[in-house]
Formats: sequence, C-alpha cells, structure tokens
Amino acid sequence: MAEVRHKSGKPLQVNPHKLSQPMGATLAFLGVDRCMPLMHGGQGCASFTKVMFTRHFCEPIALQTTAVNDVIAVLDGGDYSILESVKNIHDKVAPELIGVHTTGLTETKGDDLRGIASKIDVPLVYVNTPDYQGGLESGWALTTQALIDQLTEPCDRIDAQKIVLVPHVSLQPIEVEKLRDFIESFGFKVVAVPDLSSSLDNHLGEKQASLSSGGVTVAEVKQLADAAFVVTLGASVKPVGTTLQKKNPAIQHRHFDHVNGLQGTDALVAWLLETSGRGDRLPPVVERWRKRLQDAMLDSHFSIGQTRFLLVAEPDHLASMAASLREVGGKIALAISTVDSPILGDIEADQVIVGDLEDAEKMHDAYDLIIGNFHTEALAHRVAKKAVMRGFPNYEEVGIALKNDLLYEGGAYFLFEIANAAERMREEQVHHEREQIKLQRIA
Amino acid sequence: MSSKPKIKELLAESACEHNKGKKGSCNAPTPGATTGGCALDGAQIALFPFADAAHLIHGPMSCVGGAWETRLTPTSWSGRDLTQTGFATDISNNDVIFSGEKKLAAAIDHIVTNYAPEAVFVYSTCVPAMTGDDIDAVCKQRSEKHGIPCVPVHAPGFVGAKNLGSRIAGEAVLKHLIGTKEPEETTPFDINLIGEHNNTGELWRYRHLLEELGIRVLSTFSGDGRIASIRTAHRAKLNVIVCAKSLVSMTRKMQEQYGIPWISCSFYGKTDTSKSILAIAEALGDADLIERTRALIAREEARLEEKLVPYREIFAGKKAVLNTGGNKAWSIASALQDLGIEVVATSVRKSTEADKAKAREYLGENAILMTSPATQQAKVIDDTGAHLLLAGGRSLYTAIKKRIAFTDVNQEKKKSYGGYDGLLVLAEDLKNSLQNPVFELVDRKAPWQK
Repeated sequence: MAEVRHKSGKPLQVNPHKLSQPMGATLAFLGVDRCMPLMHGGQGCASFTKVMFTRHFCEPIALQTTAVNDVIAVLDGGDYSILESVKNIHDKVAPELIGVHTTGLTETKGDDLRGIASKIDVPLVYVNTPDYQGGLESGWALTTQALIDQLTEPCDRIDAQKIVLVPHVSLQPIEVEKLRDFIESFGFKVVAVPDLSSSLDNHLGEKQASLSSGGVTVAEVKQLADAAFVVTLGASVKPVGTTLQKKNPAIQHRHFDHVNGLQGTDALVAWLLETSGRGDRLPPVVERWRKRLQDAMLDSHFSIGQTRFLLVAEPDHLASMAASLREVGGKIALAISTVDSPILGDIEADQVIVGDLEDAEKMHDAYDLIIGNFHTEALAHRVAKKAVMRGFPNYEEVGIALKNDLLYEGGAYFLFEIANAAERMREEQVHHEREQIKLQRIA
Repeated sequence: MSSKPKIKELLAESACEHNKGKKGSCNAPTPGATTGGCALDGAQIALFPFADAAHLIHGPMSCVGGAWETRLTPTSWSGRDLTQTGFATDISNNDVIFSGEKKLAAAIDHIVTNYAPEAVFVYSTCVPAMTGDDIDAVCKQRSEKHGIPCVPVHAPGFVGAKNLGSRIAGEAVLKHLIGTKEPEETTPFDINLIGEHNNTGELWRYRHLLEELGIRVLSTFSGDGRIASIRTAHRAKLNVIVCAKSLVSMTRKMQEQYGIPWISCSFYGKTDTSKSILAIAEALGDADLIERTRALIAREEARLEEKLVPYREIFAGKKAVLNTGGNKAWSIASALQDLGIEVVATSVRKSTEADKAKAREYLGENAILMTSPATQQAKVIDDTGAHLLLAGGRSLYTAIKKRIAFTDVNQEKKKSYGGYDGLLVLAEDLKNSLQNPVFELVDRKAPWQK
C-alpha cells in the first residue's frame, strides 16, 4: 500500500487545513435538535468557529461561549463561567440540550467538567475537547460518544427493524439523508447520530439561530439502545459502536470505512440484503442507480484514468474519495491528511502524509488535479493546476450542504464532476500549448 | 521590560469622548451571552494586511484553522502575499507541558528561511499565555539572529474583544516598528493612513487622487502596507484615521512622541470623500494645495454626477434601513444619501457616542437609531415602509420575511464601495437588489397553501 508519513516533522503548520477538536464538537452538537452548543473557552474560540461554519454552510449557526477572560482563567475552576452560561442560556432560549465542550484554554487550566456538570440540573452533555489534541474528526466522535454515554438509557429489548447510523464528520447533510433513505428502502428505520440532514441542509426556515434548527431529538438519543444494529461509517467513529453496545450488549455493530463507489456501496447493499432477509431483491431504484454508476464509471474512466490527484481532507474523507477515484483508474499521487488515523494505511495512494498545503505546494510536480477545501484554490493558482472543492471550510461556493458523493447515485455525480473538471483542465493546457506553438511560428 | 501593553490604559483611552465621564472600564463579557471575536481576532484583522510580513499564530488550530485567507485585503506587494498565507505553531500536548518556546523559535526560522518576510508578527494566544511561554525573549533573540523585526503581539483572546486587539496591534507596531528607520526623502505633504485596511481594495479608490494632488502616503496601517514604510511613519506631517476609532490611542501617542497631528476621515460616498480629501489638504495647511484640491473635487463630483444620472430615477423616493456596525452607521448612510435614497433608520448597536451623534446629524431628527437591530428592524421596516435593507448576511431573512430588497454590506463582500467610483458600484448593487424578484418570490405561499 501507500507510503505513510504519520507526523509532519515541522515546527509549524503553513497554510493549514487542519481544524480543531472543539470545532468538531460544535458541529456534532448542531446535529441534535434544539441544542445550544456551549464552547468552554475564550470568546474567540467560539467566534472563530461560528464564523467558519456560518460562512461554510451559508446558514446562521447556534453557538455560545463561556467567555473565559484572563481573570476568570486564573481564579475560576470553570464553575462560575459554566454555571453562569447555563443560567443565561436557559433563561433566554430554553434549549432541549446544552452541549458543553472544552478548549485548549480551559483544559490548560484544568477545569473539572464532570464535577461541574453534576451540579447542573438542566439537560446537559459535556465533553473534553482540548484543541491541542486531535482534530475535527475526533471532536465529532468524542461528542457522539458523550451524547450516547450520558443520555442514552440502557435497554434490554431489541427492535429488529431499527438501525442507529453514525456518520463521520465530513459527510454533508444531504449525504446523511440519502444514506438514511437508502437504508430505509430496505425496510429499516434509521436514526442518525448526530444528524445534520435536517439542521444544516440549507432549508428556508425561521433562521433565528437561537438554537440548532433540526437534527436527532434528545428523546431519540435517549431511546437509541433498542436498536438491532449500530452502523458506524468512517474509521473515526468506529469506537461509537462499542459505546452504544455498553447500553445494550445485544446490539450488533457493523462498521464501514466508507460507502463510496461501486464496491463500497455494494458492501453496504450486500449487508442490508442479508440482514433484512430480502434475499437478492433489490429496491428497483437502487438497482437502477447501480447501473447508472456502472455507466458513469465507463464514461469517466478515460479522463480520470489519466489523471494524477492530490487529495486534501480529513482521513475518513480521504479514504472515501480515494476509493471512488481508484475504481476508475485515478492515480492518487498524494493524499494529505489533517491528522493521523489508522485508515491512512489503507488508502491506495503513492504517498499519504499528515501535513499542510505547504507540503502540497512543494510536491506539485506529482499531481494534476486537486480535490480539497477552498484553500486549495489559491494553491491551484500558484502551481498552475485546477481544484475541485471538497471538505471544510469552503467559503467560495454555495450549495455545499447538498453535495452528494456517496452510494451509487452520489458516486455517479462525483465521477462526472471530477472527470469534467479534469477535461476542462486539459482543454486549457492544450489550448495554452497551441498558442505557444503559434507564437513560436510567428517569431 | 515586557512589551506587553497595559490593558487598562488601552481601555481608558483619553482621546475617546466616552471615557471622560466613566470611572473605570467595564470589559467582562457575559458567559453564555457573548458574541463577537476576541482580541487575537482584532489584532489579526489590524495587521494581516501587511502582506510583506509573516503572521505567525502561536496557538492551537481553533485560533487560525478557519481564519486564514479570509481577509479580502489586496496588496500591490510584488513578493508572495503573506496576508493570504497561514502560519500556526499548532500547539500540541508536549508544548503545553514542556513549553512551546523552542517550537516557536524553530517556526520563525522556518518562515524566514522559506518565505523571506520583511518582518514576522508573532501572535500570542490563550494557551501559551497560560503556560507562560516567553514570547518576547524568543522574538528578541530571533530578531537579532535574522536581522528582521520579529514583533510580539500580546493579544491572547481572553484579554478582551476585537476592538482591544486592534489597539494592542497598534501598540506593538508603535513600540517595535515605527521610528526604527528613516525615510529616503520627505515631502511637506507626507501622511500616514491609519486604520485603512484596503478591504476589497478601498484604498485604491482614492489613493491616486491624493497622489495627483502631490500628497504622499508615506505609510499605511495597514492596507497595502509595507513594513519598510511603517518603520518611517514617524516622519509624516499628518495622521489620517480612516474609519477606525480603535486606533486613536496609536495616533494620540504619535502626536505626543513625534508631534504628528491627526484627523479622522471616511471615504464612503461622494460627500464624505470630498470632505475628507479637503480636510487632509486643509490640515496640511498649504493654500495652493487647498485650491488644487477644490478643483479636483469639483472635477470628480461632476464626473460622478454624470454617471449617476441613470440611477437617480430608480432611487427616487426609495427608503432604506441600515444595520451595520460602528462608523458605518453614518458613513454608508451618507453614501446612500448621495444616491438620493432616504435612510430612515440605522443601527447604533456597536457605535461609539461620537458615531451616534454623527448618525443623528446625518440622518436628521425623524430617523430611528436602532440600539437592538435584531429585534427592532422588522418593525422598523413595517413602520417606515422601507424598500431596502442593507445589513450583514444574517439579516437576509428579515428582508425575505418583509419581502423587501436586501444588500449585504458586511466586510465579506468582494467589491469596494469606497471613494467616488465605489459609489457607482454601490448604486449598481442596490439597483440589482431593488429589481430582483427573488425577495418577493421566495417566501410566497405555494398555490395549494391557504
């Protein structure tokens, strides 16, 4: 497999794409209905996060801060700032849940979150997410575990039809919805945790942003433990399976690293057919989309098969994109991950590194087309390549929440978009070459 | 001695009107009910436009992860645009326990070796401020080693809000850069532009007019700025504060230390652009310059008026509600008035006392000064029959609910409304908004709804 470099080896990040653990926690709490994420840190920690997600999703973002200042940082053990915040939030917006997550600032001063939480009698979930550890994926996963650990009631019954779906952080809201509908078309009931598909899916609502405007309800999180299966999607959320099983050992855990491309989706479908007892009777629309993907693969393989890619993303997102592209012969020259992850070793690429966009810039001879967040656009300009936008953050495009890359359907659209981008890039190169030749002839 | 500025002193700026009647500064944010960026955010915004300097955030990824390459402050610097290059030490567990000083020093070395900046701004953040990294010592030592200024900026987020961070940035530049170099030549008409960030290229809308008059912009803080020129800023004859009250401490201190007088200006709209250019000429006090300035203003206004003719009819009788921050409460209002639009209400939520007085002066007795625009603006639109809402993106939904036209005027816009030509851009945007059917359509009931 790939040559993997697990550590950056540099004393700094230059043009970073890594995002912080509390940011992942915020996003997870936004996937719970009528929740107020409360970031325990300086006001800037929450502000930077709020601005980023507001611009990325083009949606108002509910997020509050405990607004720790220099005096409080020294004198308070967290009690004052958290208790006061909870009181102020509760008086104003009465959320179903307050999601307290820490930052580097409050972890450095060492607040006892569990102790403080025990003094609070409004619904609250807490999670330790210092930003000098982990990243976006781990913040999301730890928060999902905390939600289940602290809210889900133990159970000894099983509802044979019920599946708990745990998506990784890089799935767009529409992808969660598509996946839920897909699984439900096999006769199951699906609860996604967290669920951004109804909160950050670019729908026109009241837009007050006083609380999250959709997502899994607190009541549903409490009732998770009667599910027959927990399906985790993405290596970063794999441990969540075990967390839920602690509430009911009869729950079966099925893990998928991704459900992208033909084989990735086939694996999910095979399992759904087997588990649902449908034999080989596919829902007709699923069968049709599989054929469309097969055709899309043939139509796009010529373009993608001659393209060398740079992928820049969170580890689970890298794995899913790489799988899709590899199926039609795309060469993953370089995959740059935000953080280390066991999944990196499974990515079919020439090189996989934990790094930044400075690393990408240095190795620009290795690739043609870039897939990554909006920062890769400036990179593409500098190294005379093209970039297709995927991942956090993307301030340059609209409609990101409705981008669907997974399953047969999204896989087909993904391949078309990439193949078309690669062709346009080559078209420009050819045009440029011809112009050069013309100029030479004239000279 | 530490280079950390005295926070209390910065919060009680004597040149600020509102501090005269106040006993102490009240700065503590309310837990669970606070919005807005921190001091680090403010310091970054103030200094990032220096594109020939590296901006190194000594902190974890929350402090920079989503925040670099977000400021639309273009530069004419021919080297690599370091405004749009993100640098962060990405503090880890180890750095928290064993100190991040070595890492910081190595990070500076990496930047100097690979990017050859004219200076390195090193921003402290909450975590190293707690663990006690000696950023001053690292900067001093690295400045000596590399022969370029490494400027510590002590604006960890928890010391206060954005505005304070901007002042801290001013302090850092005043202490470490201004006065460290002599200009090659001076002219009688050398000015500094303070607080002009060249957001969306606003500086470039009027700078050429100043130059045409023979007024030389010796340095800017910090739009299209250069480290080499800000170091010579102490030789200017006049400081011009552009739309940034937070930097008044800096100009007051430059007056005390170097005897440079200062004036405050705005370049939004025709009226204010003319007033400002004339004010600069008058402050420089040269009769011939003033006369030439009047001629230039007359020429530019006539040119602009001609181009505005097609818009006059569209805007006649139109009323607007303005919900934006600080001095924009009156500066954009003035621009709208130049277009013949009546501004019936403006937000003064984040405005200083002086800004509020100015808003009243510009808008007249009957206008509404909103102190809580989020809750007020919907009703204000109903009461005044406004046709247009100008605000930040979040107010879009108010406009949709009220089915009136909307124009985004926050700092994330990509086009500049500054100077004479900027007014034409604003006019075009407003025309497009007023003529767009989307605001009527999007909230309409479906045919089957009652």
